[in-house]
Amino acid sequence: MVGKDHMKKMFLKIFPILLLLILSISIPSTASDRDLFFSGYVRTYNGALLKESGEYTLIRNTFNLNIEQRKGNVSFKVNPYIYQYSGKDLDIGLRQAYMDIFFRTIDLRVGKQQIIWGKAEGVFITDIISPKDMTEFLLPDFEEIRMGVNAVKADYYLGNHTFELVWLPVFTPTLMPSDSSIWQPQMNFAIPPQFDYSQKKVKKSLENSEVFFKYSAITSAADFELMAGYAWDDDPTMHVEKTIDPETHELTNLTVIPKHHRLTITGGSFSTTLGPLVLRSEGAYYAGKYFNTADSEASQGVVKKNYLHYLLGLDYTIWDINMSAQFIQQTILDYDESIDSDQYENTITYLMRKDFLRETLTLELFSYFGINNDDALLRPKIYYDIYDGFELTTGVNLFTGNKGRFGQYDNNDMVYMKLKYSF
Amino acid sequence: MKFRKIILSLIIALLSYPLATFAQVEISGFDIIQNVYNRPTGDDQKGKLTMTLINSRGDQRIREIKQYLKDFGYVEKKIMFFISPADVRNTSFMNWSYDEEGRDDDQWIYLPALKRVKRISSDSKSDYFMGSDFTYDDLGDRHPLEDKHILLRQEKLDDEDCYVVESIPKEEDYMYSRTVTWIIKDKWIGLKKEFYDEDGEHLKTLSVQNYKKIEDYWIITNSQMYNVQKEHTTNMILENLEIDTGLSDTWFTERMMKRGI
Repeated sequence: MVGKDHMKKMFLKIFPILLLLILSISIPSTASDRDLFFSGYVRTYNGALLKESGEYTLIRNTFNLNIEQRKGNVSFKVNPYIYQYSGKDLDIGLRQAYMDIFFRTIDLRVGKQQIIWGKAEGVFITDIISPKDMTEFLLPDFEEIRMGVNAVKADYYLGNHTFELVWLPVFTPTLMPSDSSIWQPQMNFAIPPQFDYSQKKVKKSLENSEVFFKYSAITSAADFELMAGYAWDDDPTMHVEKTIDPETHELTNLTVIPKHHRLTITGGSFSTTLGPLVLRSEGAYYAGKYFNTADSEASQGVVKKNYLHYLLGLDYTIWDINMSAQFIQQTILDYDESIDSDQYENTITYLMRKDFLRETLTLELFSYFGINNDDALLRPKIYYDIYDGFELTTGVNLFTGNKGRFGQYDNNDMVYMKLKYSF
Repeated sequence: MKFRKIILSLIIALLSYPLATFAQVEISGFDIIQNVYNRPTGDDQKGKLTMTLINSRGDQRIREIKQYLKDFGYVEKKIMFFISPADVRNTSFMNWSYDEEGRDDDQWIYLPALKRVKRISSDSKSDYFMGSDFTYDDLGDRHPLEDKHILLRQEKLDDEDCYVVESIPKEEDYMYSRTVTWIIKDKWIGLKKEFYDEDGEHLKTLSVQNYKKIEDYWIITNSQMYNVQKEHTTNMILENLEIDTGLSDTWFTERMMKRGI
């Protein structure tokens, strides 16, 4: 403990000195001034369930504002939002609030920010810095799914090569839906469990911070990224304590203890063009991920394994229809049959998009297909620019199957309409 | 929005067709177009481009872009920042176009909602740029060898002595069956260009409405593309143009795509 405390003190002393050194040796860039600028959107979003007699599941109005200013080599951005739900209090927050300092070869961003990595679309493999808001599953815009996190991000540039270091002093977990939400994930237990949340919170301390590093480059031949992270698993592992009656040998009590664990992640991604095709790939190796298991000898019903998560994707255009397909596989290494999850979980995504009327009308279909459970999420939609910056979107979310990541929401098929004015 | 195949600097090249003087030396259609292709336009440029799209009812939509380009010798790099409409603001696009014949451009797009730079294919020359009447190829650096060029005649247009050159694509399925261009003799500027569709019908006409000399280069600052079949017009204005300012190489990087202007 003495050693750790000493290291902490040393770090706290050294960090500001290093920062000052970097600032002093850097030569200011020629970034131009930008006056205080306001942009954002107003949106009304209504959705009704197709099953359960057309009950409105979503009536939401949104005001999203971006306030930005740049003076010489510093800038800031604040992104407040207000969600107004029917019959509920206003939900007000800051998606982002950060400051930038630009130097000749280094950019420094400090504050609450969204950080996005990788080449995958709609799938999170190396894109693990900004945690997800899963209160409405994967249905919101990705800008709204990824939560801002307090971070210090430094980018060092060498031409089109970038070295990025990210430090998250405080861990932020995935935001899960409430117990009463229709998006609460299915959990299958033999008897109704009790939940013990006492170990769920990760203490805010220096030793519990997260660190990520990425090297990326864009070149004529290909774009690629290499990354590593010492992080927490954003999703809690459900540890299980069982009480069994010694006489009847029946399960009498089940306590679920959600708990976050440390993860070490290494991975990378690349994309390149092959004539009219864009080929993309992304993969990561997660060391120390916990899985639930039926093995009676496993402590608290969980087992620690390493696993791989990777993707192959192809973007192409046929008959002026933009298409994109991705194959995703999650593989648990050193697998044993008692683990609840499949050894291999395969998913396919498919996107089709076509513009009409001078790009003012767009038809789109984005789908996830779960191969293991024969389930899917189909998302056809139409969006129309009534006027520049004024867009009407209508679509349907269709879940098929009865289990799996998508099939569990089979009763949540929804038709919706959005009207959005951007300024 | 489609942003592929944006080769916007080439708007200038397209709108600035220079040719050799016909009066003194006999010159072929190919030579004329070759001279247009090789016409110097400076080592670097930056400026603001405004496109006004006007439909048959007179409704207007405005697209504004800031563009930067630099000739690196073997490659020409361009970066464009979209200013309006509001829903595409902060989107940026980068194109690297190579001198090497037959080599595809490299293109990337940065979408602020996704917060990452994405590589895209450059294989969509016949797509219309941002819903305008210009295709990506209209704005691009079409190599003279891709067409057969015939000098049809000389005539006056808007009080300017012009060559009239017909260009017929060698590629069978190209979107135009032919184009006819009027080129000002002593300024080497394409003053007007007619485009004919695959059935040989008149499709659209490009008309130059203003041009001026900047840093010894003739630059078209105001032009109009009129689609006669759709009765749709795009007016294009180039403003605040600066040439040979010594743009830094660092403008043409992922860093600038993300940072914006």
